[in-house]
Amino acid sequence: MKGKKLKSGEIENALNQFLKDEQHLVLGFKKGEGGVGHQIFKGSLDHYSLVNPLFGANAALYLRRLFSKGLKVMLMLRPCEIRAYVELHKLTQVEREDIIAVSIDCFGTVSSKEKKDDVPAEADKLTGYFQDKDSMRWACSVCRERRGVVGDAGVRIDKSGNYWMVPYTEKGEDLVSGMEGEFEEVPAEMLIPESAKTDKFQIDMETFNKDFEKCIMCMNCRDMCPVCYCIDCVFNGDEYLPKGDALLNKVFRTGSTQMPRGKDLFHLIRMYHVSQTCVGCGACEEACPQGIPLTKYFKGVSERLQGVFSYMSGRSFDEPIPYVTFLEDELKDAMD
Amino acid sequence: MAEDEKDKNPEIVGFCCSYCTFKASEMAGSLRMKYPEGIKVIEVPCSSRVDPAFIIKAIVEGADGVFVSGCHPGDCHFIKGNFYTRRKIAALKEMFDAFSMKDKLRLFWVSASEARRFIDKVTTFYNDIKEKNNEREKA
Amino acid sequence: MKTGIFICHCGHNIKHTVDVKKLSEYFKTFPNVTVSQDYVFVCSEPGQDMIKDAIEKEGLDRVIIASCTPSLHGPMFKDVLRKSNLNPFLLRRVSIREHCAWVGNDVEANTEKAKRLILAGLYSSAHHVPLEEKIVDVKKSALVVGGGVSGLSAAIFLSKMGMQVHLVEKKSELGGHVRTLKGVWPAGRDGKSIVEDMVRELEGRENVEIFTSTTITNFEGFFGNYEVTLNTPQGEKKLTVGGAVLAIGFSPFDPSIKPELHYGKDERIITTLEFENNSNTLQLPEKPRVAILHCVGSRDEQIGKVYCSRVCCVNALRVGNALKDNYKDSYVESFYMDVRAHPKGGEEFFEDTQEKGVLFTRANVGEIVPTPTGVIIRGEDTLFGETFEREFDLVVLSIGMSSPEDCKLIANTFKIALDKDNFFMEAHIKLRPFDTAVKGIFIAGTCSGPKDVEESINHGRASAVKLFGLLNLGYTYVDPFISYVDPKRCSGCRMCEHACFSNAIKYDEEKRVVHVEEAACMGCGLCNATCPSSAISLRGYIDPMIDDEISGFTEAI
Ligand SMILES: Cc1cc2nc3c(=O)[nH]c(=O)nc-3n(C[C@H](O)[C@H](O)[C@H](O)COP(=O)(O)OP(=O)(O)OC[C@H]3O[C@@H](n4cnc5c(N)ncnc54)[C@H](O)[C@@H]3O)c2cc1C
Ligand code: SF4
Ligand code: SF4
Ligand code: SF4
Ligand code: SF4
Ligand code: SF4
Ligand code: SF4
Repeated sequence: MKGKKLKSGEIENALNQFLKDEQHLVLGFKKGEGGVGHQIFKGSLDHYSLVNPLFGANAALYLRRLFSKGLKVMLMLRPCEIRAYVELHKLTQVEREDIIAVSIDCFGTVSSKEKKDDVPAEADKLTGYFQDKDSMRWACSVCRERRGVVGDAGVRIDKSGNYWMVPYTEKGEDLVSGMEGEFEEVPAEMLIPESAKTDKFQIDMETFNKDFEKCIMCMNCRDMCPVCYCIDCVFNGDEYLPKGDALLNKVFRTGSTQMPRGKDLFHLIRMYHVSQTCVGCGACEEACPQGIPLTKYFKGVSERLQGVFSYMSGRSFDEPIPYVTFLEDELKDAMD
Repeated sequence: MAEDEKDKNPEIVGFCCSYCTFKASEMAGSLRMKYPEGIKVIEVPCSSRVDPAFIIKAIVEGADGVFVSGCHPGDCHFIKGNFYTRRKIAALKEMFDAFSMKDKLRLFWVSASEARRFIDKVTTFYNDIKEKNNEREKA
Repeated sequence: MKTGIFICHCGHNIKHTVDVKKLSEYFKTFPNVTVSQDYVFVCSEPGQDMIKDAIEKEGLDRVIIASCTPSLHGPMFKDVLRKSNLNPFLLRRVSIREHCAWVGNDVEANTEKAKRLILAGLYSSAHHVPLEEKIVDVKKSALVVGGGVSGLSAAIFLSKMGMQVHLVEKKSELGGHVRTLKGVWPAGRDGKSIVEDMVRELEGRENVEIFTSTTITNFEGFFGNYEVTLNTPQGEKKLTVGGAVLAIGFSPFDPSIKPELHYGKDERIITTLEFENNSNTLQLPEKPRVAILHCVGSRDEQIGKVYCSRVCCVNALRVGNALKDNYKDSYVESFYMDVRAHPKGGEEFFEDTQEKGVLFTRANVGEIVPTPTGVIIRGEDTLFGETFEREFDLVVLSIGMSSPEDCKLIANTFKIALDKDNFFMEAHIKLRPFDTAVKGIFIAGTCSGPKDVEESINHGRASAVKLFGLLNLGYTYVDPFISYVDPKRCSGCRMCEHACFSNAIKYDEEKRVVHVEEAACMGCGLCNATCPSSAISLRGYIDPMIDDEISGFTEAI
């Protein structure tokens, strides 16, 4: 694979160059008072940060229903965010035409809830900081893809600390060609290695019920999930989670009930809904006021279900979402 | 129904395609074949109409088992519906497996003429669940 | 909501194992149930009147009929609602016969199950909405596929009743197998003259078009207006027909599947069909020794054909008779399992044949071995339990009927089902023996299972009568079970569109939502199950209906 080794400051230069066009925007990170956060830059960069060690939200969320043509947007985001964008593109929730998606090698992140002041924002210091695994969000510690290998192009860091810009699509090719430097072979081994395989997720309903005991059904998890894209979620209706009259009707039929009810229905059905598109980012868990270990379940289940079809969410623009396609000769074990 | 009694007699919900398995179930009835009353079927126009959410709902609301049954691959009245069913149910089975309840979901292919096969499939499923429930009770 | 529940005894059928009284009493206590009644035969005239009265007097807006399986009496019960000015889709059928009374013996358990089934119907019916039935014109024309006696008989009836008939025969001549038979039993008439009489009835009729050497390459559309594509010697031809009778016959069992019979390896081993065709050219000695084997390719577990072909025993008897008539001093021995001389007069024919001197040996024939001097048959006499070995000059295999050669092709083209022996399957063995599951497609003759000539002709006529009844109305209701999109809820993700294999879903780039092309939607519901938020729904099978049906089963009573 070929890419360009970048001189320091080249990424900022290139982005500023890009932003000179009035119609261009960059969605990336900004160093601010309270730490690093998402920012849409217009005109020029300002306190730009290539990496963001505080998780917060998955920025693909902001791309939903982005169809405008003519405005070019460059995404400079983490792999899990770019992957969610790729899935949203398959779900026709975002137009790809005017977006250039660049994934950046990710060192892992700290939960924004933890409010740690000592987290460095510089790539060279983060490796050291995350030596202590416990300081990392659980989602990141088991992340399937921390390398900037998804989207149109990636920013990779080699073992000596050099930055590389590597194109993956034609669009990426255009971008990298315009940057300074010559194309050369990218080193095989980089600072961020391929993720180790994690154990198959295995649990039982008793543990599930215990884990979700404190859930208050606020549905923040759904609202912050980048791939829970529905304009009118099925749980807004009465079929699965009856409300008002429908609720009373149900209670009349079944007898006294604990409230809130339907936790298992909500989470299990949502789990199935996002089973092929979940990128394991943990944005749901980040959003949960009750500290429910959502990533364990959603990432765990989706990884298994994607495995059935050798699919990986966000890996490629071309793989169709498995539920809308089939092979005639497959899944021999599925029938009993 | 008392809790212990329920354990003894599993409740099974089956989704049957109107063009094949439901027809087989009708024929089983006409031929006076017997199967346990815990087995109750819902007619759907095609097995591809079965939303995995229905299955999750049935289990969460207390069914001991759910089966989905359609035409053999290649024989779907709608030509390809059951291929999609197979994908969805294979995935859902994997999910059930993750929750250690794989035994609660089955997928059968039963054509309209296979009344005997229908009976065999549902009765085996019923008995397997019953055995599992009894084991669990003993444990 | 005002629901009426009508629980049928079906005479004794349901009442025998379900406590119908208890059920009707139980449902009286439900808040939304205005009428709950059990009745001896809900489908009878007074039964229908009872429902009509209740709808009119009580102002019912939902009707639940708990009785036989929904595929029976559907149109009739719908009519009852129509006549009472209630939309027929506010009817809910609950099967407590085929799915309850007949499959369990325990009255208490059955009653409990029936309660659940009706409850599920009751909950679900709350989500029924009036649906608009489309009425479409039915073309008064019929396609008949296969020009054997069954197809001919169907075509004759339909044309006499004034329907336009298109008769399609694969071969260059009409008549099917009967054309080749000599002395067709019981009348002893020449098969050729039988079919030629029938063909003459058709020829010259203005409303009949006969296509020989023609096959069907495509069949699509809906009852009343099916589009057919034919491959004729003159090239491709397209037709529109209201319905079709399929009469593609059978294929003779091929004994070479059983290598131990050495069929095809020696010309002294022939089938009944070959005997029929060449009986005068057979070179036999003056006192020929002839063996006749019954049940070849029938009632044979080994090759998966356990059915009786109904004509082979009589055929075997006919061969024996013919031989005795032509060669007085012949030695003719029939090896049989048991003689099933099916049609009327068959038993007498059997006795006659015995009297003529044909020997009958109950036997399992193990193998047939050709040698220079004769053909040896080895087997076991199952009456005396001893093995035997005998030499003959000729062995005639009385072959059975196998499913027609094109069964899979035609079943796929017409989207109908095959039974386990690859014959066409009837919608219901007893109640709808001429229908298929596809509206307006009927089956006739041996393509639905072995029959003799008379049975085939009658079957053909009966199917034609059924098709005539449907076509003659001139119109039909189209089930409105197709999908629709709630544009306010659709996220425009196009998942449903990608999944739908009949390309019925179209995406609107402007509005960023999808819509359904109604004419193309087949009503499978895949889109509904694929859309996570169910913004697209299949009419008649919408989510809340199924969800509440589940609840009826699972919720504690
Ligand atoms: C050896 C033997 C002897 C018999 N003797 C007697 C007897 O003595 N008395 C008696 O009552 N019965 C007898 N029968 C049974 C009798 O032959 C059948 O009952 C009769 O032929 C059935 O008629 P049919 O129209 O159903 O089928 P067929 O006669 O098989 O006719 C079917 C027609 O459909 C055509 N066809 C097939 N596929 C296609 C296609 N894809 N497209 C268009 N056309 C197609 C065929 O070419 C054929 O013309 C005998 C049968 C056998 C095997
Ligand atoms: S989930 Fe992976 S890609 Fe996302 S922030 Fe964590 S380590 Fe980075
Ligand atoms: S965010 Fe947490 S508390 Fe709220 S619904 Fe989700 S899991 Fe439950
Ligand atoms: S839970 Fe399901 S229906 Fe709701 S927004 Fe997520 S994917 Fe859509
Ligand atoms: S379910 Fe959770 S982990 Fe999966 S994509 Fe959504 S927010 Fe991320
Ligand atoms: S019901 Fe079937 S044919 Fe109709 S739009 Fe949906 S997927 Fe397509
Ligand atoms: S799957 Fe549902 S949300 Fe998506 S386009 Fe179809 S109807 Fe709309």
